[in-house]
Amino acid sequence: MSATTGNLAQAKVKKHKRDDSLARKFFRRPTSIIYTVLLVVIILACYIGPNFLVAPASAQFDPLMGPSAQHIMGTDSLGRDMFSRVLTGGQTSLLVGAAVAVLCLTIAVIVGGLAGFYGGVVDTILTKITEFFQVIPAIILALVAAAILGANTTVIILILSFTMWPQVARIVRADAMRISELGYVESDRAVGFGSLRIFWTDVLPNAFAPVLVATTMTIGRAILAESALAFLGLGDANKPSWGGLLNSAQSHMQTAPWLTLFPGLMIFLVVLSTNMLGDQLNDSLNPTLSRVK
Amino acid sequence: MNWLWYYGRMVLSALILIFVVITVMFFLLEIAPGDPIQSLVGQVPVSDAFREQMNAAYGLDRPLVERYFTYLYNIVTGNLGFSYSNQQPVLELILGRLGNTLWLTIPSLILSSLGGILLGAIAARTRSKALDGTISSLSIATFSIPNFWLALLLIIVFAVTLGWLPAQGMNSFTSSGISVRHMILPVVSMAVAELAFKMRVMRSSMIEVLGQDYIDTARSKGLTNNQILWRHGMLNSMLPMVSVIGYSAGFTIAGSVLIEKVFGWPGMGQLLFDSIQRSDNMVVMGILLIITIVVVIVNIITDVVYGLVDPRIRARMRREAGGHK
Repeated sequence: MSATTGNLAQAKVKKHKRDDSLARKFFRRPTSIIYTVLLVVIILACYIGPNFLVAPASAQFDPLMGPSAQHIMGTDSLGRDMFSRVLTGGQTSLLVGAAVAVLCLTIAVIVGGLAGFYGGVVDTILTKITEFFQVIPAIILALVAAAILGANTTVIILILSFTMWPQVARIVRADAMRISELGYVESDRAVGFGSLRIFWTDVLPNAFAPVLVATTMTIGRAILAESALAFLGLGDANKPSWGGLLNSAQSHMQTAPWLTLFPGLMIFLVVLSTNMLGDQLNDSLNPTLSRVK
Repeated sequence: MNWLWYYGRMVLSALILIFVVITVMFFLLEIAPGDPIQSLVGQVPVSDAFREQMNAAYGLDRPLVERYFTYLYNIVTGNLGFSYSNQQPVLELILGRLGNTLWLTIPSLILSSLGGILLGAIAARTRSKALDGTISSLSIATFSIPNFWLALLLIIVFAVTLGWLPAQGMNSFTSSGISVRHMILPVVSMAVAELAFKMRVMRSSMIEVLGQDYIDTARSKGLTNNQILWRHGMLNSMLPMVSVIGYSAGFTIAGSVLIEKVFGWPGMGQLLFDSIQRSDNMVVMGILLIITIVVVIVNIITDVVYGLVDPRIRARMRREAGGHK
């Protein structure tokens, strides 16, 4: 494991010093801290906030009031408090984002990891599936599937995971493939460890970091996709989500622009945070990559 | 001729892909809840006799496998079926709308590609760390904006508040055709996120190119930074852009569903949305198929262009062709 091998991949692995953990490197960047805090605040506000506010469904105020001290996001056409609705709606969007990311990660680690590590038939099939999903725009597939199968939160989560996992799997595969040729895996083999054990103890932990980046970005993409579907009316009609709120705001754009502003702003902030965190994570992993010299 | 084999294989895999899409969609429609006969007649009770008659008329009483092969055969012969709701041929319906969609997607692709390449190339020249960080943060922020929300905001600002541009449709009520003023907002809202993404790719590609030895050679010949950037950097860093542009074509067409809904643009996306509302599954499936075909064609073009612009690939193909003489 010396730099004299000249192998770029090995050089990169070598750069990870034990005393300088990824988390420490990551949180040394001010941008990481800002967006982590932003994301945590939004999550807490969405899950705890509604307890301290009027019920999102209670129509007890004047309709279409602009933002004010009492209603910081105004009221909607039925006189419901928008702030409460936006925070409650966030629960759906965040849940979908997190669930899709976890599902994608699970499938991707199993399929992508095995394909990259073992190669062979699994690898060929995975490559074909990944190619397929690269060509067909995921949102169209999800749209058609949600329209045909009916749209409740569970179905949406399943459909989005189904269309999004190959992108994560591709990254896991590439890394598992790279790692399976490295020296320490060879040593493992020489010692006589079984391949599943090597996969579990050496390949997966070492492939973890880039996979984490992909997963973080998946949260953002899933929330974007969920909002898009809900905006087109393909969401749970009983639970307001950010996309659903935007859908109903459309008919009041002239009189009540704040109904459009706030739910979209929340989507933007969450997607921005996950993309930024993914990017920062990527930079902490490869500090030299695509930066001005 | 080896290149013939090369392109032949590409076309073959495209055909397989289309076939897979047809199959997946067919079975997805089979397990779909909802009743096409009911949606055909609307909110009226349907008698059993009428249902049987309609089932026979549409061939819904045949076995699954037979319907599948009938559908495959029909598609190959260009018959995508008839819309349940207005009896028009699906292909005719879709092709009538495809043009309107392309009037949005092609200008938006051109805008995002040219803009992304230019801004990305300029951004790569920065030697200031602060500016570099700002540029890359800004581009991440830009492609984090949901495009339909951006479209709504643009309408609020430019149509509702300022009244400069129209918010709905593709022309005024009195005129026909497509007016450029109606195109501006939808095209911009479709292009912005893609532009930011392309700019990011272009920038990192350009940074990589500018680190190559031949750039040092060019500099040592006494070329200015600008000459190096435009003469040597530009073409060489365009290579990854070719596949990014091809790839983004699919996204742009997919994204047009949302944008057309926001702007009431009578294109394929609007038709898809309306058909979903009416559970007009033949049309839904037809649109997915047409989008697949368009994307597949764009991909083949991308591959061909990639081969044309990369002299290394060109040379390899020539060598292989020569070896088989």
